[in-house]
Amino acid sequence: MTLAQVEASPIDWEGALVERARAGDRRAFERLYREHSGRVYGLCLRMTRQPALAEDCTQETFINAWRALARFETRSSLSTWLHRIAVNVALAKRRKDARHEPLPQAEVEEERTESEWTLETPVEVEEIEAAIGSLPEGARDALVLHALYGYSHTEAAQMLGVAEGTCKAQLHRARKLLRERLNVEVG
Amino acid sequence: MTEAAEGKSVTTLRDLPRAIEPPRDLWPQIEARLDADSPAGATPVAAAGGTRRSTRAPLRWLAAAAMVASLAVGVWIGRSALPGAAAPLLGDFHPASGAMQTAWVSDLRYQREHEALMQSLGAQLAALPPASRAKVLGSLATIHEAKRQLEEALGKDPGNALLQELLVNTYQDEMRVLTDVHEAGTAGRGI
Repeated sequence: MTLAQVEASPIDWEGALVERARAGDRRAFERLYREHSGRVYGLCLRMTRQPALAEDCTQETFINAWRALARFETRSSLSTWLHRIAVNVALAKRRKDARHEPLPQAEVEEERTESEWTLETPVEVEEIEAAIGSLPEGARDALVLHALYGYSHTEAAQMLGVAEGTCKAQLHRARKLLRERLNVEVG
Repeated sequence: MTEAAEGKSVTTLRDLPRAIEPPRDLWPQIEARLDADSPAGATPVAAAGGTRRSTRAPLRWLAAAAMVASLAVGVWIGRSALPGAAAPLLGDFHPASGAMQTAWVSDLRYQREHEALMQSLGAQLAALPPASRAKVLGSLATIHEAKRQLEEALGKDPGNALLQELLVNTYQDEMRVLTDVHEAGTAGRGI
């Protein structure tokens, strides 16, 4: 690589922080935490619906990430990697809970795999968040990962440890329930 | 759900904020857990039993290489010259925040110590065997190249706190190398 190419290349500061954290630099890892904690906490909060539990999950996510940092593939997205850990942590915490929600029958969602999840009319954020929070766990998890965080059906299914068809069915269910609860068409 | 989102309306779920800041700083507890869990000196790489080859952009490589270079010199000196490693000159002087970090390199104490170490470096290097001298010089060259590129990048993006942090880390790496070389020399044990 020439100097001109070096100067023109985007600065991979996150990659540099990961390398430093891998070598044991706690300050670099703290910087990564500060960059990503909001998105990780947001995901945990939406999955758990309990701020205290979401805080626990967020802490656990970063502790697990530190321990597993050497195994992180630097070519992949750190954000996605952290989200995978966060989903695992949240699901594990949930499993400790006695409640087990039956999975819906694998009814396949109509061909809307790349839906934008648009609303017929504008709805206040708080109202939507409340409606999402009221969804059953499985439907909420699939919706949060797919519709909010932009993961594909395959990625969301892998993160949740379910079949892709199940993930699609959960999304179908989520859409139907949101439509009812927000009283607007969800396209 | 967030203060910023209060009263705001959206027409697609993709417009909902992905990030929600935790109500309190969770880092102190995370750090305490990491301290409690990890054996002293353990690093993620050491824990995994190996290292991974970097394949990414040069700045990252340089910043990491600068640190590895400083560590390598430290380890080498520790093995060959300092069985009972002395406390580093700046052992108690670590910036704790971004604001402090940006001020660190202009701190008088840093400047004085850096100048003193640079002045004695020539004599310390002259006393080293050629192979050792080459290793120190190679490490310092890597660190200086990392500093140069980070300073250039900061020139284009002066407000980038992450670049500032990487730069200050690189300055710290340089001081570590200089301090290690200095202490090895003043300990009189020979290298």
